[in-house]
Amino acid sequence: MASALAQLQGCAQLRLEAQHAPSSRCVAPAQRAVQQRRLQRRGGSGSAAPAAPRATAVAAAPAAHVAAEDKWIERTLEAVVPDSASLPAPLASLQSGCLSALATARMPTTRNEEYRFTDVSPVLQAALAPSAGPAAAPAAALDAALAAAGMREAAAATVVVVDGQIDEQRSSLGGLPQGVYVGGLAGAPQDVVSFALGAQSRARGGAFALLNGAAARDALVVHIPANLTLSGSIHILYLSSGAAAEAAGQAALAAPRLLAVLEEGASAEIVEEFASLAPADGTASTAGTATASKDGPAGYLTTAVAEFELDDRAALKHSYVTLEGANAAHAKSTLVNQGTESSYSLTEVRVGGRLTRHDLSIEQLGEATQSQMRSFLLCGDGQLHDLHSKLKLDHPQGEANQLHKCIVSSPSGRGVFDGNVKVNRLAQKTDAQQLSRNLLLVPRATVNVKPNLQIIADDVKCTHGCTVSDLEEEELFYLKSRGISADVARQMLVYSFGREVVQCLRDEALQARVEAAMRRTLASFTGAAQ
Amino acid sequence: MLSTASVAARAPCGIGASRRQQRGAAARGRRQFCLVRAAKGDVLLEIHDLQAKVAATGKQILKGVTLTVREGEVHAIMGKNGSGKSTLSKVLVGHPDYEVTGGSAAYKGVDLFELEPEQRSHMGLFLSFQSPVEIPGVSNIDFLRIATNARRKAAGEKELDPLEFYAHVMPKLEALNMDPAFLNRNVNEGFSGGEKKRNEILQLACLEADMAILDEIDSGLDIDALRDVSKAVNGLKSQQQDMGILMVTHYKRLLDYIRPDYVHIMQEGRIVTTGDMGLVDKLEESGYSVLSSSA
Ligand SMILES: Nc1ncnc2c1ncn2[C@@H]1O[C@H](COP(=O)(O)OP(=O)(O)O)[C@@H](O)[C@H]1O
Ligand SMILES: [Mg+2]
Repeated sequence: MASALAQLQGCAQLRLEAQHAPSSRCVAPAQRAVQQRRLQRRGGSGSAAPAAPRATAVAAAPAAHVAAEDKWIERTLEAVVPDSASLPAPLASLQSGCLSALATARMPTTRNEEYRFTDVSPVLQAALAPSAGPAAAPAAALDAALAAAGMREAAAATVVVVDGQIDEQRSSLGGLPQGVYVGGLAGAPQDVVSFALGAQSRARGGAFALLNGAAARDALVVHIPANLTLSGSIHILYLSSGAAAEAAGQAALAAPRLLAVLEEGASAEIVEEFASLAPADGTASTAGTATASKDGPAGYLTTAVAEFELDDRAALKHSYVTLEGANAAHAKSTLVNQGTESSYSLTEVRVGGRLTRHDLSIEQLGEATQSQMRSFLLCGDGQLHDLHSKLKLDHPQGEANQLHKCIVSSPSGRGVFDGNVKVNRLAQKTDAQQLSRNLLLVPRATVNVKPNLQIIADDVKCTHGCTVSDLEEEELFYLKSRGISADVARQMLVYSFGREVVQCLRDEALQARVEAAMRRTLASFTGAAQ
Repeated sequence: MLSTASVAARAPCGIGASRRQQRGAAARGRRQFCLVRAAKGDVLLEIHDLQAKVAATGKQILKGVTLTVREGEVHAIMGKNGSGKSTLSKVLVGHPDYEVTGGSAAYKGVDLFELEPEQRSHMGLFLSFQSPVEIPGVSNIDFLRIATNARRKAAGEKELDPLEFYAHVMPKLEALNMDPAFLNRNVNEGFSGGEKKRNEILQLACLEADMAILDEIDSGLDIDALRDVSKAVNGLKSQQQDMGILMVTHYKRLLDYIRPDYVHIMQEGRIVTTGDMGLVDKLEESGYSVLSSSA
């Protein structure tokens, strides 16, 4: 591998930082006592009693008067914060918390360590306005997008969220077993929402998560009662119309939010797919999005938050896919609390969007808990994809497995990865693996990768690795020795590199959409699509 | 362009590049033709004083290998670990780790080192690797079909669509006692040693090679797998009697299944002794040390 690295440094502007804190160099374990917090036990789980509007009066100041130190935040809040009186009570309360946090917050710059390689300033130049929402979005374009998505028939439920708001008409929630709730805040089980909505994002969310909390108009709630195994997935299709509700020339902001709570022993599969109403190649579609041109100043920003609470022995398979248009900026926070013996398995694929950032934070709150993360990021022309993940193990016999794969196929593409797995003192007998593999296909393609395994416990099994390379010489040769031309062999290997993750999506229609998007992105590199 | 070169080079022998097409000719006439030719056998692979080094380290591995394989012949190469057997195999198919520093190798009369690895394959040269690489994310059936079609296209034959290919590959799979589930797995990924070897021979069967180099197809195989693999190789050989075979092995048991016409002993990058099965027996009794004195 050393030779591959050396060879690559010659032609690629490569920055690689790998850091491994060995147990001998002890880092003081985080002392935050709150981490011992267990998921609260709630009575009458599964009884999906609709939330009565809460009596608590949330004294949220009218949005227009929000003052913030950061001028961009102030301007943005003035434009996008909905009237709290129009919100369900738990969301109004979340909004008020986020607003007060934002009053002293600053949007990140490249001087922040967390954003050193991810310059969000282009996003912050735009004047934001709330997105149009499902009512304003052209019905034909929506239906076309839905048909293109060809939602899996076997899905237990499909939820269409347009510009952060649930499109009830186009969602299908019919076949859900009794006791399962999937829907907006208005009908959600009140106890579930009140203990969990915003709990994690308040504690561990960043500026974009706060912005979501301030701007969200609803939250999609998924609640799976104890010991229920939901067959089929809950497929959430987030569509961005890219159109601002008000004046043209402004960038649209969408703030979709998901809260999923799996009670003891429940298991489910949730797919989050983000797409644009305009086709992913950025060409304007026939209906509706003509105003959001690819190179126009506007574009749009999606700031999404998903909070997952897994109680003891719950199991969640989570897919997260972005296929947004070339004018999209996308900031996503995923926060996961895991109870004893629960398992969380993420398959993440990001192909679309101009600038996407995922902040993933997982905390193991009990013994023998499993967390798995697989990510594939493809950075083509002018694209930047950033994954910042934090996984914290505080209890014995945990398992953690992270695979990060990134292809940069253009000199103007960049991949950023900062993956922290922290095995704390009490997390004995942990089995943790972390691997980052990066493929730079052209000169000047860039990745900034920092896989980072911190081990404080001493009785653990951990492996850790990072590679930055061109295609594997040995694999190329094997294919050529079977008569496959060098060009086709390169193509096969480029696709296969991503497929290791993509095929974990399990939904063939979704895989096909991903592969079509990959082909578009890679067309400039591989010539003809495979 | 390739075939032109091939025809020109082979013209003196009177048998042109159309040999591949002739294979499809009426079986009876063909068999007789083969029998006649088996006696004289055209030269298929001619290696002369071949020298090669590891490109990265400059270490000289092959120090003058000379070997001729005629159509229909089966050759075995034996020798201690590290004597250069795999290096010879890989140099012949154009592995980039090695640099040829002297000598020559002609295949069907064409200088092998003028050809890209894929061109060598198109001409029917095949190596079953000692340690085949795993390719995650590429399904075995896609790989086999793309490879088969590359060879067919080069031979001017019709390419097979996925359904046709399925029909094409199933009997070959059965002949190797392989579970069809292997087709949907990724190339060699998570295969046991024996499964990888079967998969190599499956590729040999799909590609219908004229010259097969088999590098330790017997290592890591249990007795059942060894029988399956040898049977499959013998089956291919009986369908295509003028196929040349060069096998590398440590063990007599493989040679009891696939009988070699010639046995060579390799030592420190050279072939030091050539004989027949008798040499193998001698080797079984006294080991390689006996031979080094005669070298
Ligand atoms: N790619 C390589 N890089 C470095 N050394 C190599 C390489 N290939 C072969 N060698 C060395 O060349 C010698 C012969 O190896 P090989 O051809 O594999 O022997 P055999 O197959 O007879 O066991 C050994 O010393 C081996 O270490
Ligand atoms: Mg060998």
